[in-house]
Amino acid sequence: MHISDGVLPISVTIGGYAASSALAAWSVRRTEAEALPKLAVMTAAFFVASLVHVPFGPTSVHLLLAGLTGALLGASAFLAIGLGLILQSLLFQFGGLTALGANALMMGLPALACGWLFQTFKGAAPTRQAVLGGVAGAAGSTLSAIALAALLATGGEDFFGVAKIALAAHVPVILIEGAVGAFTVGFLARVKPELLKPAFTRRAGAPHG
Amino acid sequence: MVDADIIGLPLWYLPALVIVPMIVLVAAIKRLSRFAHTRSTPGEAPDWSVPPVDTAAGSTLFHRWDVRCKLITILVYSFMITALTQVTMALAALGLSCLALVAARASPTRVLLRLLAIAGFVSMFLVIMPFTAPVRVGDTVIVFGRLDWLGFNLRGLVLAVTITIKAVAITLLMEPLLATAPLPVTLHGLAKLGVPEMIGQMLLLSYRYLHVFRHEARRMAAGMQVRGFRKRTDLATLKAVANFLGMLFVRSFERTERVFDAMRARGYRGRFPEPVELRLKRRDVILAGGWLVLGIALIFLDRLAWQG
Repeated sequence: MHISDGVLPISVTIGGYAASSALAAWSVRRTEAEALPKLAVMTAAFFVASLVHVPFGPTSVHLLLAGLTGALLGASAFLAIGLGLILQSLLFQFGGLTALGANALMMGLPALACGWLFQTFKGAAPTRQAVLGGVAGAAGSTLSAIALAALLATGGEDFFGVAKIALAAHVPVILIEGAVGAFTVGFLARVKPELLKPAFTRRAGAPHG
Repeated sequence: MVDADIIGLPLWYLPALVIVPMIVLVAAIKRLSRFAHTRSTPGEAPDWSVPPVDTAAGSTLFHRWDVRCKLITILVYSFMITALTQVTMALAALGLSCLALVAARASPTRVLLRLLAIAGFVSMFLVIMPFTAPVRVGDTVIVFGRLDWLGFNLRGLVLAVTITIKAVAITLLMEPLLATAPLPVTLHGLAKLGVPEMIGQMLLLSYRYLHVFRHEARRMAAGMQVRGFRKRTDLATLKAVANFLGMLFVRSFERTERVFDAMRARGYRGRFPEPVELRLKRRDVILAGGWLVLGIALIFLDRLAWQG
């Protein structure tokens, strides 16, 4: 779920732009300069993946993939998500212009958190990685949902009801994202384990060339 | 309950005034979205090398407007719309957006698709807010029958309607902003405005490969269907979807290396050639200035009305 224009107070939209630009700049610095074109191509893959709809009873939900993006791209994930959101407003008509910064924070911060979680605790055993992938998937959408509710709540008391219901609507998404995260990471651990290391990021503290 | 005007209505008004309009709204959105999607995908296999964003080769005011002025004006003006608080001023902004839409000769189907994309999120406000906005002094609350706990707060409805109008007003500006110049030109304009050039390049690359991967994903999905896969609400479906995603990532990851090698083989050194040379004319600046003054006037009137 993306926040559309005209909902958030102007201070929050501008603050969202400022914070997400700073984070995107950090994310660029943490990505190998050579790898930026490759990251762009990978962003396209994540974008296409997020268009996949999973049936849920009579309706269907589409995946947010914040957790999985973080797990696979590490610190570069914020940049990838920002680009994805811009493309989405260019191409698929979703997502707003003024709410872009807030949306990037809503998806990008959980991705960074999940990326850190996954890379720190993943170990070497495929089962453990799959379980952790599930945790990252579920945590990614949980944190996104909380961020959405928190952003909506900045509008004042009148927005609390909507924020609560938006939070509740994310429960099935969280379950589905958890399962898909676990299975996808399990698949990658068997098929191409090198994808589970963030290939595009430089190590923290490495000199910037 | 605090001091609020409470209007009691018999219980049968609830379906008439609330539930039926909601069902009509949802049905209308569903119907329109089916209509828009059948209209917008006439055939498969569009030409990847020409981004569909630049279908507009027209010569309206928006096409001739300097892309830098256009980006700044519409972005700043959109933020101004966000700052509005009154329904009347939001309506005025909506009127201005409609004028821009006509002036830019935007494609009605694409505009409709953009509106439908926000329809779900915005209807959530329209449906939930009147029932959940806390009652304050001077509010008008409609209570149906003995359902005291389900007060329909008119102030919440007005707030939700204001949000909807603001959202629509900004969404309508997206087509004049983005579809009146080719994507590389728009990104070039952004770069000239100080956005790092790398961001524009990455957007172009993602944009290009997005189509490639969509095509690939569609082929993979067709293969799964041929082998008898049907989407259901069960764990097996999730597992199949996850393998599908995993395969998509593996293929894309291998592709990134080949793409980058091909780019370097063609002489890529961290830059793309400039698509156009931008020249700022006086007319561009006057249009930008005039529009922004209009935006400031809207905010001014908005605050004035609020105090009065």
